[in-house]
Amino acid sequence: MFVKRYILPIQLVLICSLLIAAVPFGGTNLYEILACLAALGVTGWMVWYLFMEGKAISVQAESLKNDYKNQRDKASQCSKETKDLRLQVQLLKRQKHNTEAIIYSISDAVIVTDANDRLLMANEPAGEFFGFDVKEIVLKPLEELVAKKELVKLIANSRTTRMRHVRHELQFGTGNDIHTYDCIISCIFDEDEQVCGVVAVLHDITREKEISQMKNEFVSHVSHELKTPLASITAYSEMLVDGEAADDKTRKEFYAIIQSQAQRLNRLIEDILNISRIESGLIKVKKEHVSTALIVRDAVQMIKSYAAEKEITVEDQTAIVFDQVNADKDMVSQVVINLLSNAVKYTPNGGKVTVNSEVDESQQVVRVTITDTGVGIPAEELPRIFDKFYRVKANNKCAKGTGLGLNLVKQIVEKVHQGRVFVTSEVGKGSSFGFELPLIAAGKSLVK
Amino acid sequence: MENKKVLVADDEVHIVQVVAMKLRNNGFEVVTADNGSDAYKICCEEKPDIIVTDYQMPGLTGIELIEKIRGTPGFENVPVIMLTARGFAVDDEQKEKLNIAECLSKPFSPKELLSHVESVLQSSTVS
Repeated sequence: MFVKRYILPIQLVLICSLLIAAVPFGGTNLYEILACLAALGVTGWMVWYLFMEGKAISVQAESLKNDYKNQRDKASQCSKETKDLRLQVQLLKRQKHNTEAIIYSISDAVIVTDANDRLLMANEPAGEFFGFDVKEIVLKPLEELVAKKELVKLIANSRTTRMRHVRHELQFGTGNDIHTYDCIISCIFDEDEQVCGVVAVLHDITREKEISQMKNEFVSHVSHELKTPLASITAYSEMLVDGEAADDKTRKEFYAIIQSQAQRLNRLIEDILNISRIESGLIKVKKEHVSTALIVRDAVQMIKSYAAEKEITVEDQTAIVFDQVNADKDMVSQVVINLLSNAVKYTPNGGKVTVNSEVDESQQVVRVTITDTGVGIPAEELPRIFDKFYRVKANNKCAKGTGLGLNLVKQIVEKVHQGRVFVTSEVGKGSSFGFELPLIAAGKSLVK
Repeated sequence: MENKKVLVADDEVHIVQVVAMKLRNNGFEVVTADNGSDAYKICCEEKPDIIVTDYQMPGLTGIELIEKIRGTPGFENVPVIMLTARGFAVDDEQKEKLNIAECLSKPFSPKELLSHVESVLQSSTVS
């Protein structure tokens, strides 16, 4: 047959495999053969010429089969590798997403830079703080996005010094709006221990610093307040022991001073303890039906001698009406005394303090208001006036105090009696402090 | 220490009384003030040989009082003893800067205070 004389193109053998055997070639799938034929562009007339040469065709076919098998295996391998790669890419994407989600969920400002001080990642708090859109920052130079030069410098330094977890305290802001941040900067290292980036976390510690400073001031105040009566007790005791009190009259005077100073010391310690007990819920409360007007009247009598030293008039405008409340009498008395004491303390000589008490039937409360003609309180300090340890700076020089009195008032009125405290004030004109307690019939809380 | 004048400034009336009594019983002349502003005025008027002042007072604080006194001609070198109930209220640097001779913590012993007043006056007389 003429076909033997020709070197058969390897691809023509494929055609014969279709005709000689409809069965698969050593596992070669008929569909795969058809696919190859289609790819090779084989036409129908060639099939006829090769039909008679079954033997040559089968050898050639075998060769093709093996070649095809190799190609198929390679393709299969590539397909498998492609699938693996796709899986790895999906896994990496998920890991990246999870990492970003973790960073975005942190309430502190977090920024991540690369080895060239370009921003890689930042969360919303960082965007708000530094003033950029977190979606548009990738690979932009840090110094372009972050105006805080000190921070940019610290990040660059950390990178060059390869330091981990270095803590810095930074302050940003101007005037009265200065915030303090606890900034931790740490290098990120790759598998070869090379610095591939830096992460910086900024935690706002402004409030903690304020509280810490207030605590330090409080400790200083309390130390002073405790040591002062103690100084009198110590000094007068020594004078008595050394016989420096010349006569009985002097000795009696010294005894009285020692006694009054000891009582003063005791009151201060009690104030501190009471606040602590109220806050922790451990205080013993003895509630009974009491008249607010009568409590106010007694408190006014107690404060009059102190007020007289400064020639301050104390006027009680409380009418005796049905103003029964369910309250701890001693505690409410303490509240009124504290408010009256403050009013006298911060009112210059010759001033006036007025106490007013009324029943508000619509609110079902008793309202007691103590108004003075004192130095007043700046508006910006009013929201914090009942805070523990808080003292108005401008009024520090007018009178001493621990910053506990008003806090104790608030705790007793609101926490123990479900009432409400309030204040209005004008610098140079005076202040009005007051509280409301629910009437017996009401039994509902005013504290929101 | 006859004829030496001491200015005692403290807003705690009992402290002023006991210190004044102790010093007078030992031959000193004593003038007193219960706030920083009055203490400065009295200092200028009475020209004391030594000042015993509290750290915290209304008007001028003890530190402000000393600063004002040191800035007043003629009073640059008047010795000062400070009483404080505030532990480490005055550090060494401030003490040196304001030329505070001694800092005594409250509660203090009147005997000890007297001893410090006498030794500070003696040192300032010698120098």
